[in-house]
Amino acid sequence: MFPVIDWSLISLEVLMAIILVGLVVADIVLPKNTDRDWIGTFSFIALFGLILFWLTQGHLNGTTFNSMFVMDPLAWFFKGFFLIVMVFIFAMTQEFFKTLGERRNEFYLLLWLALLGMCFMASSSDFLVLFISIEILTISLYVMTAYLKSDKLSIEAGMKYLILGSLSAGFMLYGISFLYGTTRSTHFDIIANFAAGHPMSAMALFALVLIFTAVAFKTAAVPFHLWVADVYQGAPTPVTALLSVGSKAAGFVVLIRLFFLVFKAWHPQWSLVFAVLSAITMTYGNLVALFQTNIKRLLGYSSVAHAGYLLMGAAAGTALGAAGINFYLLGYLFTNLAAFMVIVIFSIAAKSDTIADYAGLARRSGLLAWGLLLALVSLAGIPPLAGFFGKFILLMAVIKSGYVWLALIAAANIVISFYYYLLIAKRVYVDAPLNDTPIAVPAGMQLLLVLAMAGIIIIGIFQGPFFAAASHAAAIIP
Amino acid sequence: MISLGHYLILSGIVFSIGLIGVTTSRNVLKVLLSLELLLAASNLSFVAFSKFNGDYAGQLIVFFVILVAAAEVAIGLAIIVLMYRRLSTIQADELKEMKW
Repeated sequence: MFPVIDWSLISLEVLMAIILVGLVVADIVLPKNTDRDWIGTFSFIALFGLILFWLTQGHLNGTTFNSMFVMDPLAWFFKGFFLIVMVFIFAMTQEFFKTLGERRNEFYLLLWLALLGMCFMASSSDFLVLFISIEILTISLYVMTAYLKSDKLSIEAGMKYLILGSLSAGFMLYGISFLYGTTRSTHFDIIANFAAGHPMSAMALFALVLIFTAVAFKTAAVPFHLWVADVYQGAPTPVTALLSVGSKAAGFVVLIRLFFLVFKAWHPQWSLVFAVLSAITMTYGNLVALFQTNIKRLLGYSSVAHAGYLLMGAAAGTALGAAGINFYLLGYLFTNLAAFMVIVIFSIAAKSDTIADYAGLARRSGLLAWGLLLALVSLAGIPPLAGFFGKFILLMAVIKSGYVWLALIAAANIVISFYYYLLIAKRVYVDAPLNDTPIAVPAGMQLLLVLAMAGIIIIGIFQGPFFAAASHAAAIIP
Repeated sequence: MISLGHYLILSGIVFSIGLIGVTTSRNVLKVLLSLELLLAASNLSFVAFSKFNGDYAGQLIVFFVILVAAAEVAIGLAIIVLMYRRLSTIQADELKEMKW
C-alpha cells in the first residue's frame, strides 16, 4: 500500500524548493550579460510572501512522508525564526556585496539553500532526514564562508570550516549507524519507544555521544568550538551573522527534539553531561573573549559563551528549559543581528573589523552607536533588555532542576562578560575618534536596524506574548 | 563464519584510520580523503547492521550518504583549488593567518 502524503504539512518547504530551483534554472538559462539584480529583489518579495504563508500554518500538527517529516508547534516556531533571520541576512548581503558585482546574485541561491536546510532540520523526524538536512545547511555554509575567493582569510576560514564540519558529520553518521544497530530503526518515534523500554546500553551511549558532536558543532559548544573564532573572523560578515544566529538556532532545535523528546527516557544519564559542558563552554567563551581585538572574533567567542548559557536549558531538560532556550534565541536573534548590521555598515565604510577602529563611533553615526550599545548591553544581560529576561528564565530552569552550582557559575560568567562588552561601549562613546568622517547608513539598513533595536527593547519589556509563544513551542515536551 | 562483530571491528578500524588521517595529515587533500573514510566506515556499519538485523532501511541510507559524500568532496576540492591559487600550497599548516 502506498502511504498517504499530507502535502499541507510540508508546503512551506515545497514552496522554498520551487523558488530555489526556479532561481537556479533562471540563472543558468538567462544569457550571461543579462542583468541579474532582480534576484535580490525577488528573493526579498518571496521571503515576505513565505512569512505571510508561514503565519497561516500555526495550527498544523502532524507527520507526513511515512512520519519522516513532522510539523508541530516547535517546528513552526523555528521556521518563523529562520524566515525572520533571513530578512536581515538578505538585507546585509545586499549591502555587503555591493562591491562584488556579478557574483553577488549567486549568493542568494546559497542563502535559499541554507534556509531550506534549516527548515528541514526543524521538521526532521528521522535520522536520515536529519543528517541530510544538516548537510544541506552545512555544505551551503562551506561555500558561503569561502565566497570571497581573493581574500586569504575567507579561504582559510572556508577550509577550516569544511574540515571540522565534515569531521563532525562523520562522527554523527557513525553514531547514527550504531543507534540504528541498537534500536533497528532511524525513526524518532520508534527510537523514543525503544528508549522508554530499555536502559541505556553501552552502544547506545557511544551512539549518543557521537550524535551530540554534530549538535555541539552546530551550536558552537565546547569541545566542538574550535572552528568558531576563525570562521567568524574570516567569513563574509552576513555569513557570520547567519552562523551565529540561524545555524546555532538550527542546532538547538535539533537538540530540543533529540534530547528532550527522543532520548527523554535517558534524561538522568545525560543531564549532568550537559550541565558540565554548559559550565565549561560559557567559562571558556567569556574568558577568551576578554583578549580579543577583532570584533567578529570577539562576537565568535561571545557566541560560544551564549551556547553555554543556552545549554543550561538542555541541562534542565524540562519544558521550562526548552521554553527558556526558545525565548533566549528570540532575544538573541534581534540582539546579535543588530550587532552584525552595525559591523557590516562599519566595515564597508571603514574597511576594518578591529575594535580599536570603533573609537568614537558615536560621533560618526549616532544610530550605529546606539544600535551597537543596545546589542552589547542586551548580550551582557542588563535589564530591561531581551538578553536579561532570557538569562533569567534559563537560570530559573536550572535552579528548579537542582543545578544551583551551574546557576552560580552562569552568574559569575555574566559578570565577567560585562567587562568586554562594556569596554567596546566605552570605546564607542568615550574615546576620541581616529577619523571624523560621518558614516552614512542606507535607508533600508536604517529601518532594519531600528526594527532590531525595537525588538531588543520590546522583548525585554513586554516579555508576556513572546514567552507565551516560546512556551507554546515547548509545550510538546511532556 | 563472519559475524556482525567482524564487520563492526572492520568499520571501527576504517573509522580510526580516517580519524588519525584527519588529525595528523598536513596535506589537505589527504585530510579530505580521510574524511571520506569516516563516511565509508559508517556506510559499512549501516550495511552490516541492516544485514544482521534483517531491516533494509540501513542499506537505503547508504545511498543517501554516498550522495552527500560526493557533494562534500566536490566543495572540498573547489576550496582546495581556491587555496592553491591564492596561497600556492595545500599544506594545512600554511593556514595560520588567524590565531587567537
